[in-house]
Amino acid sequence: MTAHVDTDVDPQAPPAQATWQSKLARAGLRALPHVGRWAAAIAGALLIFSILVSFKGANPIDVFGDMWTSTFSRSRSIGEIFIRMAPLALAALAVVVPARAGMINVGGEGQVIVGAVAAAGVGLATDQVLPGGVVLLLMAIAAILAGALWAGIAALLRLVFNVNEAVTTLLLNFVSLDLLLFLIYQPWRESPTQQPATRQLATEAQLPTLAATGVHVGIVVAVIAAVVLALALGRTRWGFRLAVVGGNPEAARRAGMPVTVLLLSALLVGGALAGLAGMIEFAGVETKLRPGFGTQIGYVGFLASWLARHKPVPVLIAAFTLAALAVGADSLQLDSGLPAATINILTALLLMAVLGWTAFRKKAA
Amino acid sequence: MSILIDVATGGVRGGTSILYAGVGETVSERSGVINLGTEGSMLGGALAAYVLAAETGNPWLGVLGGAIAGAVLSSVHGVLVVRRGANQFASGLAVLFLALGLTSLFGAAYVGRTITSFQNYAIPILSDIPVLGPILFNHDPLVYLSYVVVPVVWYVLFRTRVGLLIRTAGERSEALTVHGFKVKNVRMLAVTVGGLFAGIGGAHLSIAYTNSWFENMIAGRGFIAVALVIFASWSPLRVFAGAYLFGAALALGPALQARGFGINQFALHVIPFVLTLVVLAVLGRRTISAAPAELKRVFENAPPDP
Amino acid sequence: MQHRTLKTAFAALVAASALVLAACTPATDGTTPGTTADASGAPGTGGTAIGFITVGPKDDYGYNQAVIEASVIVGEAFPDMQILTAENIPEDDSAVATMEQMIDRGAKIIFATSYGHLDAAQKVAAAHPDVVVVQQGNAIAGEPGANIGTYFGTVYEPMYLAGIAAGAATETNVLGYVYAFPIPQTIANINAFIRGAQSVNPEATVVTVSTSSWCDPAAQREAANSLLSQGADVLTQHQDCTKTVIDAAEAAGVYTVGYHADASELAPAGWLTGAVWDWGPLYVDIVENITVGDFTGGPFNANYRVGYKTGTNPFVLAGYGPSVSAETIALIAEQQAWLGSDEGSPFLGPVLAQDGSEAVADGVIPSYDELDGMNYFVAGVIGNLAN
Repeated sequence: MTAHVDTDVDPQAPPAQATWQSKLARAGLRALPHVGRWAAAIAGALLIFSILVSFKGANPIDVFGDMWTSTFSRSRSIGEIFIRMAPLALAALAVVVPARAGMINVGGEGQVIVGAVAAAGVGLATDQVLPGGVVLLLMAIAAILAGALWAGIAALLRLVFNVNEAVTTLLLNFVSLDLLLFLIYQPWRESPTQQPATRQLATEAQLPTLAATGVHVGIVVAVIAAVVLALALGRTRWGFRLAVVGGNPEAARRAGMPVTVLLLSALLVGGALAGLAGMIEFAGVETKLRPGFGTQIGYVGFLASWLARHKPVPVLIAAFTLAALAVGADSLQLDSGLPAATINILTALLLMAVLGWTAFRKKAA
Repeated sequence: MSILIDVATGGVRGGTSILYAGVGETVSERSGVINLGTEGSMLGGALAAYVLAAETGNPWLGVLGGAIAGAVLSSVHGVLVVRRGANQFASGLAVLFLALGLTSLFGAAYVGRTITSFQNYAIPILSDIPVLGPILFNHDPLVYLSYVVVPVVWYVLFRTRVGLLIRTAGERSEALTVHGFKVKNVRMLAVTVGGLFAGIGGAHLSIAYTNSWFENMIAGRGFIAVALVIFASWSPLRVFAGAYLFGAALALGPALQARGFGINQFALHVIPFVLTLVVLAVLGRRTISAAPAELKRVFENAPPDP
Repeated sequence: MQHRTLKTAFAALVAASALVLAACTPATDGTTPGTTADASGAPGTGGTAIGFITVGPKDDYGYNQAVIEASVIVGEAFPDMQILTAENIPEDDSAVATMEQMIDRGAKIIFATSYGHLDAAQKVAAAHPDVVVVQQGNAIAGEPGANIGTYFGTVYEPMYLAGIAAGAATETNVLGYVYAFPIPQTIANINAFIRGAQSVNPEATVVTVSTSSWCDPAAQREAANSLLSQGADVLTQHQDCTKTVIDAAEAAGVYTVGYHADASELAPAGWLTGAVWDWGPLYVDIVENITVGDFTGGPFNANYRVGYKTGTNPFVLAGYGPSVSAETIALIAEQQAWLGSDEGSPFLGPVLAQDGSEAVADGVIPSYDELDGMNYFVAGVIGNLAN
């Protein structure tokens, strides 16, 4: 609100202008160490990565150059970034909401799979009889419910049995993988004589693409989700209460807040978002369930959320960055002859730099 | 009967890597630091052990290398968490990604290499005891080493001054400060030692159990070790039971299949994970009361970075 | 505060999107020089590179390594072509992106070498009529498009022959088979192996244990242990990484039959023989066929299967270990000739299924296509198909 007051002041008035300028200068000065820290941290990560790849005989300048060209100078690659970014951003938001309440959701991987499984179950059962739009809506609802349900198991274990949700969500990832494999090898398998996969989703029930770009509308869903969450967390009573619970659950309890309900809601919303990510990947990209569906979306989403410091809109930027790195990983192999998994080093170093060296030092955990 | 002996033997054999990692993680968590990077320390340990065993022909040097690699990776976690105040879960997963990338980059050349591995050695007399003999006393040297190491870790944690320091760091860190100790140094030590044991666990997988190195060969066993510590209520001796129980769950699927039982393979594959969840739920309330106070703080309230 | 961050970030995103959209339109033509086909205009001609994607790492001592080794042979045969290889490409839609990247780098021929890469291969082929995609191991249902095909060897034929060596060697009459998932290829291998064994030893059975992973060494080790404890004295497998099971067999002093790669040096005492890949000649034939413009309508523009009957099977028998008798070696040579004749097949009827019902009628030889879709175990197999 104060910002509006400032702009209403007549810019011609000399004293006001001075205030405005000095304010800007002071803000700039305050931001400077911040920007410097970020730049130094990222430079440090890139430097360590350079040293490591040069051990394997690759020229780091060429490696970065090829990755850049391969990723950003080809239209297809840019489209690919947005396609990969959509589920990543949603999976990252799935971490953001529980984190607001002080909870750690490492179960995105499993919630994505379960969301996709539910979407596939509903989609393949209805795509022959219902119009595409209706099927899409039903799939989204099913995925949201399934993701929330899967996270709900961890929530139940936390709230009733007091088991840490980071550990249980992690274990549930492995359970969901076996569930997926069971379904596509047995009851949902299109043909026992073909590769293990479900039937393909009817074209009308697949996510539409944004005109002529080849990029499906998942990215729009992700952007809307981020903005809605930014408002919900920043502007609603629910959001404020989550932050209070995350800051000090005891104080929240004393203040009479329904802490259990708040924690439950945070984890359920998180699971729902990850489930939606699974639906988008299923209906927008894969269009059938196969072994290996959605691999690493949950984990990379987790990293993206931390990169963005659990802020919904910056999550989009973090997801974009990690999606670009994933696309760039192809260049590591094709141009530099390095194993594709090398990209994990760069991702990890960037996150470490951000986790450890971009915040003003606070009291150690 | 034979199936019980098979599953129990498999439990010891397959549980040993998890046992080492779990004991290490116990030390770390006793000081108040949880480390999901245990999975990464095991991976690094598995590769380093394999490389050294391949290059030197001496598996014991491999164990040493595995321990060092595990310790180095966990000390990265230590620096981030203890020195830089990063979130423990996020840092742990970052360390795992680092280990995945590093072992892929530097491990590719070793996949096809042959090594001098540890051999099974049946302990005379003891291995002849009915039932217990084959289950406990017909294994590789790292299994026997674990019989000694785990009680020693228990002793150090609960009966020595160093152990007291570590536990105090996890329970009432301000008490350490009062007595002139640096909490951060104590935690760094505990986290690094934790990774060292996880590295030995990885070494057991690569140079004693499977005698192979392969990308991502830990396949979630490090995560299980972390879960295990919780349901073992932070006691190294109870980690024994937990690790063997999990190892037995891993051995159950193959043992049933080899006997022709018509059970779905995915149902068998998921048993260890579901079992861990169920045990966590059953013991939940009881264990959390035993948690180190500082760790409880991490569990119950992990606020995002400012 | 929140409001301002929001606005800035949103503006940044909008700007980024605009940039992207701007970049999209003109770049499409510019990035792929030589999109217009050669004079001949046939798909797959006029490229400067050949791409190979594998599902696992390049050096797994198994399936993927065999592909990469053969890609080197292709490079030697076509020195003007750049060989692009990409490992660890998942069997999902990201394989499409990787293949697109290869096309961006001048590839007009792409080998998609994993069973599960077929969907992605078909997508790429449909989007790029000027590129030929050949897929290894799977089969296209219906009529393939003009620029796609699949190829494979009849893996189960050498596994049948290896089964003869196993059946002759076993003393317990229990053979052990470690596999990942019940896909048709694996099922046909297991069935052929036991039929080979039973042809010399009617008492033989094969016990199967699945690991639910193409490569999880610790699970493989446990599977091997459980087979050994059931008295198996020959171990074989269908896994992408093969070292662990071979090592387990050798350490236990039992025989082993290799798969994917010749691993006789890992098991100097227990090695019997193995079925190993030799893709080089077939890859070179395929590339030759494509580059001269003969692909469409040719033998590779289909589900091409090469077995002992039709030519050089890329799946060959490895060398024999010390324990295999001259008599057995002679018998295997005789059986190989029989498989290559019109009367021979590992599945020459009558074939009984596991439950005793008749799977193949007396005197009938199932076609290669039928065997590509095998989904039942035959008599003598102990194990179940994930039901």
